[in-house]
Amino acid sequence: MANRTIPRLLQTPAVLLLLVWMLVPLGMTLFFSFIRYVLNNLRRPEWTSPSIENWRGFGNYKFVWNQDGFWLAIQNSLLIVCSILFLTVILGVLIAVLVNRSFPGRGIVRVLLISPFFVMPAVNAVLWINMILDPVLGLQGIAVGGINEVIAGLRNAPLIGGFFSLWPELNPISFRATQTSAYAVIMMVTWQWTPFAVLIFMTSLQSEDQQQKEAAILDGAGRWSQFRFLTLPHLGRPIAIVVMIQAIFHLSLYAEIEIVSRGNGNKNLPYFIGELANNNIGAASATGIFAVILANIVAIFLLRMVGKTLME
Amino acid sequence: MGRIALNKVKKVFGDVEVIPPLDLTIDDGEFVVFVGPSGCGKSTLLRMIAGLEDLTAGAIEIDDEDVTEVPPSKRGLAMVFQSYALYPHMTVRKNIAFPMRMAGIDEATQNAKIDAAAKSLNLTDYLDRKPGQLSGGQRQRVAIGRAIVREPAAFLFDEPLSNLDAALRVGMRLEIMELHKKLETTMIYVTHDQVEAMTMADKIVVLQAGVIEQVGSPLELYHTPRNKFVAGFIGSPKMNLIEGAEAEKHGAASIGIRPEHLTVSKSEGTWKGRVGVAEHLGSDTFIHVHDTGLMDMMTVRINGDIDARHGDTIYLSPQVDQIHRFDAQDLRIA
Repeated sequence: MANRTIPRLLQTPAVLLLLVWMLVPLGMTLFFSFIRYVLNNLRRPEWTSPSIENWRGFGNYKFVWNQDGFWLAIQNSLLIVCSILFLTVILGVLIAVLVNRSFPGRGIVRVLLISPFFVMPAVNAVLWINMILDPVLGLQGIAVGGINEVIAGLRNAPLIGGFFSLWPELNPISFRATQTSAYAVIMMVTWQWTPFAVLIFMTSLQSEDQQQKEAAILDGAGRWSQFRFLTLPHLGRPIAIVVMIQAIFHLSLYAEIEIVSRGNGNKNLPYFIGELANNNIGAASATGIFAVILANIVAIFLLRMVGKTLME
Repeated sequence: MGRIALNKVKKVFGDVEVIPPLDLTIDDGEFVVFVGPSGCGKSTLLRMIAGLEDLTAGAIEIDDEDVTEVPPSKRGLAMVFQSYALYPHMTVRKNIAFPMRMAGIDEATQNAKIDAAAKSLNLTDYLDRKPGQLSGGQRQRVAIGRAIVREPAAFLFDEPLSNLDAALRVGMRLEIMELHKKLETTMIYVTHDQVEAMTMADKIVVLQAGVIEQVGSPLELYHTPRNKFVAGFIGSPKMNLIEGAEAEKHGAASIGIRPEHLTVSKSEGTWKGRVGVAEHLGSDTFIHVHDTGLMDMMTVRINGDIDARHGDTIYLSPQVDQIHRFDAQDLRIA
């Protein structure tokens, strides 16, 4: 028994630290979520300090639950996370397969491919929304303007002019608008995180068994069949890992949403919590608990998925 | 049918000529073994026949049809790899079905063929397992099964037994030979192990540095090796090769005598030496003899056992009609 006690004793500080690290914030969040606690209220100054006297039960939860913003935030969180996962995995696999072949300048191309990952999220958002997606000054505005000019020029051309005169003038899309701002976030985060997927898939592709491929070639498998029946199953595990890590990261997106539209139309759960926390700490805490529950549900699904691929 | 002809086949990697122009004909139904030390180009040659490696020059014909530019899958050949190259995420059944699935064969035919192959290879109980759950020998059988169902014109084996342990290797060797007898399909088998070559082949092709040293039946190679390399490579233990004065007595630049063609005596004989290590196999004993003054170490093979201890003096006499003579160019003197 003694030889077990000593290791446990030695582990204790680390375990205790981790427990405190996790339990104290969680405990405080739980406590705040059950009391009335606001930062500023002139009529009820007693609510401005956290106290058990201000017990509200599940009132904060009901308040949040009945807000449209809360459900929109959950929808938006899921839309943004799922779209980014879908796009990064597909783009990542395609680019990794492409870059895995040998061609001149492959080293430089690989370094360039990884570079978006080193850009800060806030900088990424500023670059995209102002320089690329801006309907007037960004690349988008310039490109749409250019296309319109070309079409306008062609309208006066002989023969084909009649055809082009039927074309409408294209309007650039404003990505700060309520309907489109979520797509802007999806685009910029996909751009930033695709390199991560590429990196992971590329290392996995390099460990692919070449004799299996040769056997498949002899068995009559074409390029597509080799990809479908050998490469893709080989990538199953890295795909699961990429999905899991990215899901964890993207559930807590904030900077991009703040910069693109100040949350207009694309609030996700963290942003919604942030807004509540400007004043109503109790409601923000209750939403935080909902977020923990949501993250756990996602985590259970993901762990199952990853576990399944790891078992094979 | 599976008659394969190589005409002036040549392979160059960068500046290195791995296989200088080479001619070879493999008849239908033959079991041909390519044997040679590692790096002699035997696997490259096999991969060129399979189509996995391009030819630098020359042509390959299968059944009198030029297939030099035909893609691997259209050559009608099946290959068994050293690493088995099974598809790890597919069950045994799916592995075996893969070539048929690629060929678009209907499922009923597929299943019939799989069951027949599994039965003949003792895999019926393992059809729903994945390769990772099988032993080395079973994996090898799955790889063979995958080859069989294609009903190829010829089977190509690339050192298929190197990853198996010794006992299993002997078993699989027999199974492959049985298979050959049953299917009567051309088989080309690459190995560096001359025992495998001798036991399995109808025809052995001995290669060194991409050059064919000799082509012939196992016993032809054993009895009349064309040159010193073949003489030393074929046969186990190796032939004793003696140069210098003793060879000149026989009118040759060097002579060779196989360990089994030496007679041992403790009292008298042609050559005198000192007993080194003796390897007792029960049925035979290999004795390493030192200090003969003829070569570094001579090996003798005797039936049964002999009472010779380390350091004892021993006399060896060659059976004169079994001496192989080679000229200065290492070629056999008839």
